[in-house]
Amino acid sequence: MSIIKDVQSGKKPLKRAYVAIFLWFTGRAIQAAAKVDSEVKKEFEKLPEDFTFSLGCLPCGPWMVVGREKGVVKYLGGDSRGRPVQVRLAIKSLDAGFLILSFQESTALATARNRLITDGEIPQALAIIRILDIVEVYLLPKLIASLAVKRYPSWWSFGRKLGGRIGVYTRTLLGI
Amino acid sequence: MLLPDYYEFCCRVKIVAGHDALEKIPDLLIERGAKKPLVITDKGVAGAGLIDIVSRALGDRVQADLIADDVPPDSDLRVVNRLARLYRDNACDAIIAVGGGSVMDTAKGINIVVSENAEDLMAFSGVGALKRPLKPLVAVPTTAGTGSEVTQVAVIKDHEKHLKMAFGSYFLLPDISILDSRMTLTMPPFITAMTGMDAMSHAVEAYYCLQKNPLSDAHALSAVGMIYRHLPLVVKNPDDREGRLAMAVAACLAGIAFSNSMVGLVHNLGHATGSVCGVPHGLCMAILLPYGLEYNLHKMADVMAELLLPMAGEQVYLATPAEQRAQKVVSLIRGLNEDLHAITGGRHARCLQEIKDREGKPSVPRDVLPQIAAAALLDGASIYNPEDTDYEDNLMVLEAAWEGKPLDRSRVKKG
Repeated sequence: MSIIKDVQSGKKPLKRAYVAIFLWFTGRAIQAAAKVDSEVKKEFEKLPEDFTFSLGCLPCGPWMVVGREKGVVKYLGGDSRGRPVQVRLAIKSLDAGFLILSFQESTALATARNRLITDGEIPQALAIIRILDIVEVYLLPKLIASLAVKRYPSWWSFGRKLGGRIGVYTRTLLGI
Repeated sequence: MLLPDYYEFCCRVKIVAGHDALEKIPDLLIERGAKKPLVITDKGVAGAGLIDIVSRALGDRVQADLIADDVPPDSDLRVVNRLARLYRDNACDAIIAVGGGSVMDTAKGINIVVSENAEDLMAFSGVGALKRPLKPLVAVPTTAGTGSEVTQVAVIKDHEKHLKMAFGSYFLLPDISILDSRMTLTMPPFITAMTGMDAMSHAVEAYYCLQKNPLSDAHALSAVGMIYRHLPLVVKNPDDREGRLAMAVAACLAGIAFSNSMVGLVHNLGHATGSVCGVPHGLCMAILLPYGLEYNLHKMADVMAELLLPMAGEQVYLATPAEQRAQKVVSLIRGLNEDLHAITGGRHARCLQEIKDREGKPSVPRDVLPQIAAAALLDGASIYNPEDTDYEDNLMVLEAAWEGKPLDRSRVKKG
């Protein structure tokens, strides 16, 4: 009789750390962009007052939770327990998360390839994707951002790009 | 042909096509242990005498005398619950849906309620809530366009709460689809034209949108060729049984293609135009299709060029320089719309400003275009479009489609 062993999935500490740091930084950057960029501000204003969304990897994270509290957009950490989440963007696995968050695959392509699962209202999920795209444009150099978004906004003014980038980075690093 | 790193494809529907395909239904039901189906349809289908044809074809091998012919044009939760009670009270064991999209959606909703023994249909909304096979469902489409006989989704409206519930599951795929030429033979030419162009938009968008894959491509290419060849002939000669069957099969192929690869800007703007102005979906698709191609041409020209072969044949394909093939596809689709406009005596609109209501008033006034452009931002189809779209892009495309002028591609924002 052969001995059957349970196969344990690898913990992939480096990938997990990369994804966790990326989500932490992006969460803070969304909070910053909501104060700096008028388009991001408008997108959030159209969402409900207590709107919360999460983005992360199945089956066991890491996650990023962002929500509005009395109209102010805040990064709420990596744990959504005890808080109703209206939209949950779940990446199928840590490997898929690494693929998307290391810009080897855009959000749209990840959705098309069934790697990103949306749980919640589609119009709200679309708003989040538009916000994520803008934040990625601020955070990343053009060459990398072009891989992450469908269309790099080359028509943005130099002032918007530079001013926005400085504002988003400063606020992200300071957490304000 | 593009080979994606990963894709999913599923179509486990038994499809029976032919001039006498309906006669096969009793065998197929008995195979599945069903003998007492509930027939669901709408007044229009029943009034056109199509249910009589179905009843004659069913004969007496199954007991199909329970017919509910009051499905409204918009699927409705109360109707679903009422017909589910009818199904239970009469101990039915299968459903035969004869009609268009609303009848199919209603049938899928009833099937969830009776199979899951549910009180609240809402508990099964969203994607993946169904975990087991439902009762046998036979889909008999009476238009050649929607493809809902092979799709895994249903939309049911709760008119009391003003809610639209979407359901998605492989278990919602009908078990059997019957494509019978008799079911579309009496369809008026202008409805044949717009539903046919709806199928064309499914096939074309499935072929160039982001979720395309080799399996959906094969279905889309076949559909494009068949529709381009047969649609004008069938609109001109509604009694053409071969053409009717070809269109039913082509719409089914297009349905399989798009339900596995999704659609983009054309459906995105079409859904928004339909919800704001209440104009027929097929007509929006016919008008917007060339604009969807033009808008995405800078990203997908090579892929779009491949559509020229099934549409125009080998000689035209080879005689057209490679860099002009995609543009030629756009021209052929515009030409097809022109032909359909001429054959239907102008009832098939070529641009948004030509769409008229029953009193002859314009259905899409120019001043609602900003509202449509904004509504399109709420529609999920945009995610699968190759090029990104924002409010200004939507408005630019809508304005061109309203005027009926080709899109000024120099105005399309490129990254």
